[in-house]
Amino acid sequence: MATAVAISGICKSFDAVHAVENLSLQIHKGEIFGLLGPNGAGKTTTIRMLLGILMPDSGSIEILGRANAREIPNQVGFLPEERGLFKRMTVLDILTFFAELKGLSHKAALPLADQWLERLELKEWRDKKIEELSKGMQQKVQFITTILHRPQLVFLDEPFSGLDPVNTNLIKDVMLELVKEGSTIVLSTHMMEQAEKLCDALCLINRGQSVLQGPLAEVKSRFGKNRCRLSYDGEARFLQDPKLVSRCDDYGQYVEIQPADEIRPQAILARALNEVTVRSFDITEPSLNEIFITVVKGSGTTGGDHE
Amino acid sequence: MNKTWVLIKREFFSRVKTKGFLIGTLALPVFVFVIMGVQIAMQSLGTKEKKNLALIDLTGRIAPSFIAYMDSSYQDARKTPLYTFTNVQAAPESLSTLKSRLSRQVQDEEINGLIILPAEIFESGQFELHAKNISNMEFNANLERALSRVVSDLRLAQSGIDQVLVRKLTRGVDLKTFKVSEAGTKEESGMIAFGISYVMMFILYMALLFYGQFVMRGVYEDKSTRVMEVVLSSARADQIMAGKIVGIGGAGLLQFLIWALVIALVSSYGMVMMTLFAPGAGQLPIPAISLSVYFFFFLYFILGYFIYATLYATLGSMVNDEADAQSLQWPVTFLIILGFLFMFFVLNNPNSTMAVLLSLIPFFSPLLMFLRISVGAAPWWQVLMSVVLMILTIIGLIWVTGRIFRVGILMYGKKPNLPEVLKWIRYS
Repeated sequence: MATAVAISGICKSFDAVHAVENLSLQIHKGEIFGLLGPNGAGKTTTIRMLLGILMPDSGSIEILGRANAREIPNQVGFLPEERGLFKRMTVLDILTFFAELKGLSHKAALPLADQWLERLELKEWRDKKIEELSKGMQQKVQFITTILHRPQLVFLDEPFSGLDPVNTNLIKDVMLELVKEGSTIVLSTHMMEQAEKLCDALCLINRGQSVLQGPLAEVKSRFGKNRCRLSYDGEARFLQDPKLVSRCDDYGQYVEIQPADEIRPQAILARALNEVTVRSFDITEPSLNEIFITVVKGSGTTGGDHE
Repeated sequence: MNKTWVLIKREFFSRVKTKGFLIGTLALPVFVFVIMGVQIAMQSLGTKEKKNLALIDLTGRIAPSFIAYMDSSYQDARKTPLYTFTNVQAAPESLSTLKSRLSRQVQDEEINGLIILPAEIFESGQFELHAKNISNMEFNANLERALSRVVSDLRLAQSGIDQVLVRKLTRGVDLKTFKVSEAGTKEESGMIAFGISYVMMFILYMALLFYGQFVMRGVYEDKSTRVMEVVLSSARADQIMAGKIVGIGGAGLLQFLIWALVIALVSSYGMVMMTLFAPGAGQLPIPAISLSVYFFFFLYFILGYFIYATLYATLGSMVNDEADAQSLQWPVTFLIILGFLFMFFVLNNPNSTMAVLLSLIPFFSPLLMFLRISVGAAPWWQVLMSVVLMILTIIGLIWVTGRIFRVGILMYGKKPNLPEVLKWIRYS
């Protein structure tokens, strides 16, 4: 697979704060790449560096074969997390303005704008001013400005926040269509469920560092497919046995158990049947949400000494 | 299409196409005409107001010649006197009752005023006016003028001096001003020349201040609505800055051209009206504004605008809201105001070394050098020098402020202090 974005060892600090530290990642062409992380992890700074709005202090960036997105702004689209449009312009004026800013002629932009307004159910708002639109509608307009010029690389920062399920689906469909047509999407989000459904690969950033990355399936399998959920009555002393259990979270109704290496879930079930009254037992794979919380908490408490 | 051009176009049209622009552009001339109209109406109405006055002449000698003087000097359009006097005879002992009676009449508006000429007026040189409205400056001045004249005539007569001779010997002199220029010597009114220079410079001053602040507001609004970030992913910071400055400047220039057109139309129409209805007024030596002054007006507006707009754009990039902007903008605003304050000094001594130096400082040139040009006091080499200095300043400012702008538009939160800004310049 061809590479759309390659970052190697970029650092960026503001005064004493290290916003991004030695971050490396690869994004393949035609995939949806999840850039995940808690607030203040350095996602926005990373995206800004990828867009060429900020320059990294060190390290190198390659984006669609160039060293700087500044050389190819017309092939890039960007939806920032904090939305903003010129409030007193009409929807159509906004769309053609951004299209022209991306190198399209006014003439070429007009039919495209109408097409997209139709598709995202904004047709009757075409000549209204932005300030007359609801938040959700403004967001859809801004989404159109991001992709109207058919960018090869699209950065979407929380594209679904504040959207109802219907509109979320509309946007999601457009994203999948873009990817099918060969665009690459970098999706930055906190919504792990969405990321889990959409992303081909991901990178989890915490405190400016990559704490987890790779294709979604691989990341998940790295955390094992062998999570055990056990619901029981009695005193489960075996849960403290490090030879059997590497990690255990008590959720009240049930405990979630990560078996120690080389231990199969069946072995845990056998011990449980021996020691307590088992009400239920099942084997699942960890959700991205769980991985996110585990990794962020882990890297937070250990000071982020992951690779 | 060039991105800078797309940005300029948006700035220009998003301003020009608004109702606010239309209203603002039309409101100023309308406002000026309304004020002028009201003033003219007030003046013509005010002088025609008739007054009914009681006069107590305790000297017994002044009243006849005073009334005669007033009657002949102040008349309405139909040549009837404006002021009617009732000469009330009063013995000194009954004066106080008389005074209170007449005061009541003033109070009841049966008469408009009571004038008392005291017996010792020749020595004290003072008289009294009792009226409800004592701040009609024109009326007060008329009274004073007439009484001064009558009283001094009587004083002269008393001392046996020939009045006619005295009048001849003490006649005042009037100033007639001639403007010497390359086109030759021409009679011109100094006051009117001053007025025109003053008005044009005042317009420049307001324009620099207002359009500069428009630019500042435009930048921080885009910043606080976060639209700046999206634009920044498509265009460079210097293109955005240029778009703002040129786009808003273009809108300002358009507004100016509309006003200039209105002024030209109205003044030529006014001239025609004046020669039709007041033939004498046509001979008033009104100095025509030469084309070159117009040219320099626009040249200095454009150069001055670039200097101040770059500064204001930079201020806008450093803040997020109106409150921060207000507290940061004073040094720049102060520069403009300072230039304006030097105006009177420069106007009075346009060729002094100080005036030359001040008008060569690029931040003051738009106002002061233009002022010196408009009064014909600036030699061509000084004009050229100021233009070159301003262009160099603009280039330097763009270099420095561009760096601040680039960093500033991405900074949210508290407004930066000076050391931080200096660091931006060094690092970006």
